[in-house]
Amino acid sequence: MTDLRAEVRRGVSALGQVPAQGRGSTSDLSIDEALLLHSVGWEPVELVTGVSMASVPWGVWSWGQGEIAAASAAHATAMRGASERLTEECDRAGGHGVVGVRVAVNVYPNHVDVELVGSAVRPVGRRGQPPARPFVSDLSGRDFCLLLRAGWEPLGLAFGASFVYAPRRSARTTLGQAGQNVELTNFTEAMYQARELAMERMQQAALDIGAGGVVDVVMRQGPMTFATHAIGFTAWGTAVRCGPEGHRHLDPEMVVPLDDAVVAFAAESLRGRPANAE
Amino acid sequence: MGGHPGATDLPEAAAGQAARNVPEAVGRRLSSSAWSSGLSVPDFAACVSMGLRPLALVQGFCAMQWSAYAMGGGSPWGARPTAGAPAGAGTPFTSAGSGGYSESWPCPHGIFSAEHRWGGNYQQPWAEHAWSQGFGSAYVRMVEEAQQAGAQGIIDVVDTAQHLTEQSVIEFHVTGTAVAVEDSPPPPAPWSTYLAGQRLAKLFEAGFVPVSVAAAMSSVMMWPNCQTEYLLHGTGGWGYSYGGEIEQVINADTAVRRLARAAVRSQLGSDTLHGARFAVTRHTGNMGGHVVECTLRGTRVRRFKDFDPLAAPRPTVRLS
Repeated sequence: MTDLRAEVRRGVSALGQVPAQGRGSTSDLSIDEALLLHSVGWEPVELVTGVSMASVPWGVWSWGQGEIAAASAAHATAMRGASERLTEECDRAGGHGVVGVRVAVNVYPNHVDVELVGSAVRPVGRRGQPPARPFVSDLSGRDFCLLLRAGWEPLGLAFGASFVYAPRRSARTTLGQAGQNVELTNFTEAMYQARELAMERMQQAALDIGAGGVVDVVMRQGPMTFATHAIGFTAWGTAVRCGPEGHRHLDPEMVVPLDDAVVAFAAESLRGRPANAE
Repeated sequence: MGGHPGATDLPEAAAGQAARNVPEAVGRRLSSSAWSSGLSVPDFAACVSMGLRPLALVQGFCAMQWSAYAMGGGSPWGARPTAGAPAGAGTPFTSAGSGGYSESWPCPHGIFSAEHRWGGNYQQPWAEHAWSQGFGSAYVRMVEEAQQAGAQGIIDVVDTAQHLTEQSVIEFHVTGTAVAVEDSPPPPAPWSTYLAGQRLAKLFEAGFVPVSVAAAMSSVMMWPNCQTEYLLHGTGGWGYSYGGEIEQVINADTAVRRLARAAVRSQLGSDTLHGARFAVTRHTGNMGGHVVECTLRGTRVRRFKDFDPLAAPRPTVRLS
């Protein structure tokens, strides 16, 4: 058991000494994540970012039918551009990959903005030539460690998007369905198709970089705030492939935590019912 | 900034100015027998258990006028180089104004008219210097209070910057809890950190000691050229590509982040930046144009013992 008070005293007394020479690192990892990374032989190098903004032509959000292809294409362009810039920054910093990438996507009427921020990492003490293509992953430090221990490796961010117009019914159909509990099949089909398109594009992006699958997929969907008749579906995750040694079973231990949440109760209930209560 | 930062790093005049600006009530408050802290109860308990005794909630303020007309350099055209420009008022926080980033974006159509204007991206050192002066002065005043309280460190630092009374007046506010380290001689100047409680305990346990908070702001002004304007508004034009990237904006966004990172790096020496956080804002400048500002904050930490790797963690499944 570490004597924490002694460690604090030792640390503070070291502030009076001349610091070691060298180049420090920057990262947005929590101390837990940094320690976990060290435990599997990795260390942070540099805080890196990749941004992109892609133009969406004026008028594409007006009423129409089917997919809003220009918006879907702009989303793909912006994600790809931001990911490439993030990879370039990692490469320049001597990182072998980026972990804990935070993905911020904003869709506006005339442009799609993407910002990726993460920590470039490398194997501990490895200052040589980084790999030809660093990996990019939005997995936390903990999930990255688990993935590595299970024999898998991250390759890059896979993403897909599909923007569609909410389908319309004819006046006759609308009147015919008035007052009924019926499935709006054209809505179901359009939404279903759009979701599948976004997922398909994400999986294709994973295949394009040589991955076998995508983990920790994040799906966002909903109407655009500036055009509520248009609905966007976006999906992204970390593309992974199994390492040369195959999958390693982690054999987790079962634990029964004894720190169940305290059962809350209202203190008033101890007083019993008031005399004048009905 | 390779050594221990703080009020002692300041030129004497700046440190003297900061001391004069600390209100006289501070002395009365800090000499009272009661102590105060901004820590939550769990953070307070964790800090006491690691030998850090809270002394006082300490704070520093600085209200700055923020005027485009005060710009000292870096005007878009005919800009003078800003390399080696002094950090604001001798504060320990170097501004990003060190590289003189500027790019011009001519009209790709080769026409000179109101619509087909040239554009440009350029760094705004005057804004960066104003920020570093405001933040740095507030920080120095907080350190001054901590020193008056006899503190060795300042934990749980929180900093804010908000407009006061009118758009051109910004008040910087830096607060923290001054602490004494039990059975330890005082360092040359109080150390500071954004961390507190468990996270601070883990930092020490991992072999790092906080040196100081590190922060910088960078500012880039973008005057879009005709092509960028078309793309931002999604309207047609020659050379307009649907779904294409808007390079001028991307360059400004990328530059502003790199400048902030470079400025913080210049404060680090051989130390490490822990828990870095980017915050990017956009607004329209006083004279038009798009302003992108980026602040980067984190805690500068130094390794005081060799790394002792954790045992490989054991995966567990909770049965609840």
